[in-house]
Amino acid sequence: MSETLAVQMQTIEKTYPDGTVALKGVNFDLRRGEIHGLLGENGAGKSTLTKILSGLLKPTQGHMLINGQPRHFRNPADALRSGIGMVHQHFALVPTFTALENILLGQEGSRLFSSLNLNKARKHVETVMQEGGLSVPLDAITESLAVGVQQRVEIIKMLYRAVDILILDEPTAVLTPIEVHDFFKTLRVLRDASKSIIIITHKLKEILDVTDRVTVLRQGHNAGQIETKDATPGILARMMVGHDVLPSIEKTPAQPGAPILKISNLSVTDPSGFRSIENLSLEVHAGEILGIAGVEGNGQTELVEAITGLRERESGDIIVNGSNIAGLGPRQLYQRGLAHVPEDRRRIGMVLDFSLSENSILGIHREKRFKGFWGKILWGKVGEHTRELIKKFSIVASDVKVPARSLSGGNQQKLVCAREFDKNPSLVVAAQLTRGLDIQATQYIRDQLVRLRDQGKAVLLVSADLEEIFQLSDRIAVIYEGKFMGIAKPEELDRERIGLMMGGVNAPATPVGGAAR
Amino acid sequence: MKTQIANKLKIVSTKLKPILAKSKSVIIAIFIKIKPLVEALFAALLGFAIGAVLMLLWKFDPIKAYSALFQGAIGNFDAIARAVGCLFQEGIEACKASGVIYGIYDIALTLTNATPLILTGLAFAIGIRAGLFNIGAEGQVYMGAMAAVAASLFSLPPGLHVFVSILFAMIAGALWSLPVGLLKATRGVHEVISTIMLNWVARFLVYFLVATALVDPVRAEKSIGVAPTARLLPFPTTDLTLALVISILFALIVYWILWHTTLGYEIRSVGLNPDASRYGGIKPTRTMVSSFVLGGFAAGLAGACQVLGRPPTYALYQDLSNVMSLGFDGIAVALIGRNHPIGIIGAAIFMGGLSAGSNNMQINAQVPLEMTRVVQGAIILALAVPEILKIFPALLGAVVKLFSLLRQFFQRIRMRRIKRTTS
Repeated sequence: MSETLAVQMQTIEKTYPDGTVALKGVNFDLRRGEIHGLLGENGAGKSTLTKILSGLLKPTQGHMLINGQPRHFRNPADALRSGIGMVHQHFALVPTFTALENILLGQEGSRLFSSLNLNKARKHVETVMQEGGLSVPLDAITESLAVGVQQRVEIIKMLYRAVDILILDEPTAVLTPIEVHDFFKTLRVLRDASKSIIIITHKLKEILDVTDRVTVLRQGHNAGQIETKDATPGILARMMVGHDVLPSIEKTPAQPGAPILKISNLSVTDPSGFRSIENLSLEVHAGEILGIAGVEGNGQTELVEAITGLRERESGDIIVNGSNIAGLGPRQLYQRGLAHVPEDRRRIGMVLDFSLSENSILGIHREKRFKGFWGKILWGKVGEHTRELIKKFSIVASDVKVPARSLSGGNQQKLVCAREFDKNPSLVVAAQLTRGLDIQATQYIRDQLVRLRDQGKAVLLVSADLEEIFQLSDRIAVIYEGKFMGIAKPEELDRERIGLMMGGVNAPATPVGGAAR
Repeated sequence: MKTQIANKLKIVSTKLKPILAKSKSVIIAIFIKIKPLVEALFAALLGFAIGAVLMLLWKFDPIKAYSALFQGAIGNFDAIARAVGCLFQEGIEACKASGVIYGIYDIALTLTNATPLILTGLAFAIGIRAGLFNIGAEGQVYMGAMAAVAASLFSLPPGLHVFVSILFAMIAGALWSLPVGLLKATRGVHEVISTIMLNWVARFLVYFLVATALVDPVRAEKSIGVAPTARLLPFPTTDLTLALVISILFALIVYWILWHTTLGYEIRSVGLNPDASRYGGIKPTRTMVSSFVLGGFAAGLAGACQVLGRPPTYALYQDLSNVMSLGFDGIAVALIGRNHPIGIIGAAIFMGGLSAGSNNMQINAQVPLEMTRVVQGAIILALAVPEILKIFPALLGAVVKLFSLLRQFFQRIRMRRIKRTTS
């Protein structure tokens, strides 16, 4: 390795204005023409490090060498000029622009009214696409493109700006397995064109599949760096967590009772006419957890919303505790024993600017126990209730009056779960139960869910996280384009088969349908 | 001996610990409560400073101008103290005879100005709390004032007549607000559009009624006077009436509703996060309608206060000049008061003082009307900026949405043209 490194970051430290120390002296280097994996748990400092490299944040201490030259970036445009570009998890594309317009956006020419030479620009973009082995329909409206294609638009956008150090933040989170395969192929082509690529992820398999080298961060420190060919999942996992991964949850075999939730031939159609759920049937029994696995956007959200009274059905029946819930709203359903942990706690599960007390009664705020004369809310009783939840779920909070926004993600989710689980429900619908949480909170919440099952509640668990599905479910259904690819017990499924099913490939070796009972 | 003292100290310290911990949290709580107040104080100072710079630029003496402003808004502290002392010791008649009572004249004028602004400020703030940009208070004030005057067509015993007139006004305000809520809930009509339109309808409807059904047969420039049984009588030598008490009471009721009842919980929840509210079993549309009605009550009441409790008029002028622009001023009041009922009371008094004082600024400091308006504007803007910034993203969102709609529209046209040329 006599050539200069593309990036060298030395003893980088970062303290946020609120006092959080995100990086405590991290070293990082990137060779030319390599795919470098950046691995770590949530809060390990991956995002902070790459944000510093791409000019979004300034380090508190430490320095950077880009191609051997010391550099300080004032803003992302600065970094871009040095050939560093980042593709964020949430794309920065204008949905109503065409792909070409999005690629050119911000590069139209420096003068305000200079006319855009579209033909010339298009030719340039086409050569960029050819060199990178990437292609997208340039004249298609961006929002009509699949997520994987939109991601390609983002990458082309970067290449068009002559970026040769490309940072990708959780690029596969939104992709189907097949798209991931194509995406990795693209990355290899780019590497062979001597681009340097940093890919942030927490998926071990992807690291092993595509990278040349891995840097692992843990709680703001370097936890190790390793050539991928020398790595195994076990080594990486140990580096990442510090101890062996995921102590498994103690779980006795399920003792299913009577069916609590019964869905037959359910179809759901969007206002736009897209049919997101098609003729779907399922049963969840008391005392079992039914896990629904699948890549996000295959109808899970719509299914959950239909069951929890947030979305109209097109046809089919949903029966909870023996009665049809057609036309009932969330509040009536909660009265009939439903608890719902929604997929997005910050957007749906709570009102972030409400206090913990106020959030702890969302959905049950009209219950008699909290109500005085003239619709008065008895805040004293609500406070007691909140304190009880905080104690029961060991939520870290200084007071019940602080806004929910001030809690960490794990504690926010604990609060939502506490509120829902405490309702003494007969049916629990939980979506993306532990997304984005650290291992401790994850374990805790999963434990609680199993405990609910053992108390004889019926649990429907929707998750994009296979780990979670396998760990918790007594039966697993795989959803693809609004239909079940199959229902089976976890021991009858392996990862590969489930992966195929999630990608829409039938895996006939598995007993399909009701056979799993 | 030593150990004894040490033991005592230990006991004392263990006793003190929880108290200290408690007082710490209390101090933090107080700090959080007064933080907006401190911010407002600085903002006001900044506004005054900007005003002073502007006056210097045009060669007016800011010190003279501001002391005139202060004089006009509050008066003389000594005189106020003497008047209040006199009122308690010697009674109204004696104070009137000696003239001491005039000490409260200026501050009374400020409070009189503030009275309707408290209510129109509330009308806007209730909307904002529910996530709505309700600028319909203006029209609802006209309707409320008109209904309160119309109630004088009946004869009722005193007391009851006041009550019925106020009720009429509040119902009229709410009725004028209800269609806005229903249109929003059922047809998705944006409240800004419908309230602006209804403001104009209200204006001309009330013009018409004041000129026809409610016209004073003797003096055509105004409506019939409010019946003596329905009037709120002023405090001697001032224009201040019970209307002030009514509006402060209403502000307290609104506070109670918003923070201590289920309805208020739902209104605030919908305003902060409609998706979470739906998940929480709240129907956002229904809640929005309730908040419009509640705002309508407030605005209608403001109209009533202007005609029942504002001597010497006790009527509606045909050009509506005594109820004009109260609704819009209420927006500024709500923004300054951070959309909080208690803050709104303070903000309304501040605005009332500003307009009372600026008259004095014209007369006694020879600052022309235009300049006083500019200074007023600078101060109000400086105070309202934090809230404006909060609303700004929503406004920006609306603009972006508009542009993307336009874009789609043009794209569709372009596509159609391409299709036509190819086929």
